[in-house]
Amino acid sequence: MLQHIIPATGLLFTLQNILWINIGVFIGSVFAAIPGLSVILCVILFLPVTYSMTAIPGMMFLLGIYCAGGYGGSVSAILINTPGTPHAAATMLDGHPLSEQGRTKAALKIALYASTFGGVFSALMLLFLGPQVARIAAQLGTAEYFMVCVFGLTIIAGVSGKSMIKGLISACLGLLISCVGSDPMTSYDRFTFGIPRLYLGLDLAVCLIGLFALVEIMSKAERRLDRLNLDTTQIKDDGVITKAEYKRMARPVLLSSIIGVMVGIIPGTGASEASWFSYNTAKNMSKHPEEFGHGSVEGIAAAESANNAVTGATLIPLLTLGIPGDGTVAIMLSALMINGLNPGLSLFTTQGDIMYAIMLGLILVNIFMLLQGKFLTTLFAKVVSIPQEILTPIIVIFCFAGAYSVNENYFDMGVALIFGALAWILRKLELPPVPILLGLVLGSMTETNFRRALLISNGSPKIFFSSVYCIIFLVLILLAVGTIVRGKIKERNASQQKED
Amino acid sequence: MSKWVEQFNGRMDAWGRKLHEKEIRIPIDLVTGIVFFFFALWIFLVMPDQVAISEKDVVNGRAFPTLLMAVMMLCCAMLVAKELYKLATKQPLNWKVINVQVEMKALVILAILVLTWLLSRLTGLFVVGAVFCCLGFLLYFRCRKKSYYVITLALAVAIWAAFRFALGVDF
Repeated sequence: MLQHIIPATGLLFTLQNILWINIGVFIGSVFAAIPGLSVILCVILFLPVTYSMTAIPGMMFLLGIYCAGGYGGSVSAILINTPGTPHAAATMLDGHPLSEQGRTKAALKIALYASTFGGVFSALMLLFLGPQVARIAAQLGTAEYFMVCVFGLTIIAGVSGKSMIKGLISACLGLLISCVGSDPMTSYDRFTFGIPRLYLGLDLAVCLIGLFALVEIMSKAERRLDRLNLDTTQIKDDGVITKAEYKRMARPVLLSSIIGVMVGIIPGTGASEASWFSYNTAKNMSKHPEEFGHGSVEGIAAAESANNAVTGATLIPLLTLGIPGDGTVAIMLSALMINGLNPGLSLFTTQGDIMYAIMLGLILVNIFMLLQGKFLTTLFAKVVSIPQEILTPIIVIFCFAGAYSVNENYFDMGVALIFGALAWILRKLELPPVPILLGLVLGSMTETNFRRALLISNGSPKIFFSSVYCIIFLVLILLAVGTIVRGKIKERNASQQKED
Repeated sequence: MSKWVEQFNGRMDAWGRKLHEKEIRIPIDLVTGIVFFFFALWIFLVMPDQVAISEKDVVNGRAFPTLLMAVMMLCCAMLVAKELYKLATKQPLNWKVINVQVEMKALVILAILVLTWLLSRLTGLFVVGAVFCCLGFLLYFRCRKKSYYVITLALAVAIWAAFRFALGVDF
């Protein structure tokens, strides 16, 4: 590890990287602070920008957006009682009441410090656990890798929507779309329907712009124009956090960071689950549970440290096995692969310097998030009240500019539009889009491993049940399916009881 | 001009109120199951034309899409069977209420997006589409603040300039 860390430090500390980290952190904070705009949307919009960059600045930029998004959501949660991102909902429970008590700046500071601690803790876990998990991953063959892909897809399909069956249909659709273009093993064209441009396949960024960004624009038809008028002069407290409050925060912050890491490692779970779980744990363990929901510093600290502790942990299965923990990191996987960095042990050995630079960079991202949060919070707060009339066309222009810039042609803009319309129909049919995203990202890897395994076994499917790892993953898949189905039945029964 | 705008908005409001009352109820799981079952079937039918293979291949390029479509058909069959069972046992189906007004508004937004793309493509100038997009959305939102028009148009041109000159995209 040490032989990589010193050259990695040299690769990381360049003016270009520092600049891109700061741009990413700024954009991520701004996007997450605006209710209705999500971190995943932000990453999709700016993914094409990274195509012209090398691996380290590109990943630093995206990680900046991803991590700052964790904190940015809390700004609007505290200020206007509306979480900027879903995972800031737990922060809102205590953040806004504390703000109403005239301690807005203090609430924002607690959220920022807790987020930074969670993020740094998670980055350190990634740094130490990542290579160990990668060593285990190195023992996996093609059949095992196929099972890993199926495992990841099953979990995401299961937890992404109300119905697991619909999630699986979405995943199959995503995997099928990834088949469009030349066959990865024989180079024969597939599903091109006589359109020569499709021979190169559909670009991930272009598809995602349609599936996640343009569909959000179309969903404006479902909503009224909300006016979020915020008076930023209300942030006038001194923001002092007392020693006693720091002491009270210490335990929930540490515990929530551990919970965040543990939740983040499991594919399919995310920051929302981690923040709610941590919030409840902190409440149960607190000496002052009665304060929760009324501006408890422990509540804000627990929720925020947990949702940022997820960031580094989701990268562990991503970098070692190629299994993204959530939709946002799935996009990052594509950014890695574009630069020829394929997940697994080789990433930590042959490309070790770059990999360690990215992992160390995650610590740096959190430090810059702290600095920007300290000095630019008032600006982030002002952003919350940007009118939708201005924001909507600007996002559309970003979408189209991004889609065009991938291959510099208008065909891709048209493809993004088609995917936008398709996503609208899928939304009406209640088919979740995240499994489609995962299918698109994992498609090539899943198919290649599936076919290679069958080639090795001369076409016999027995190979998928032949090794210990295959059996382990098969058991894990069955366990996951069982748990998800049980959870869905419980959920349905509970909602039926409520209705009765 | 303002009188004409008022009249137009008034007509739109009256039309919108009428459409708002119109709703379509769809048995969503049943429809999804049937639609995607036939989609998978169609993929199976076009596969021989769309996926070229070599006779020598042990595992060819059709193997994976075939597996996917088989899984999709199985899922669809389960979804349809579940809904049919509910019908048979007189349990309530999963219905989705679709509001016609919302769908019409979504179509208007889609039309703005399509026109933006068409204008960019036909003129070969991205910035023309961008300007149209700004005006289209501001009119859609019935924005009357002149400052918003100025800010949005300035931002649109700034984004174009950033991609054109900073990122070197040839618009």
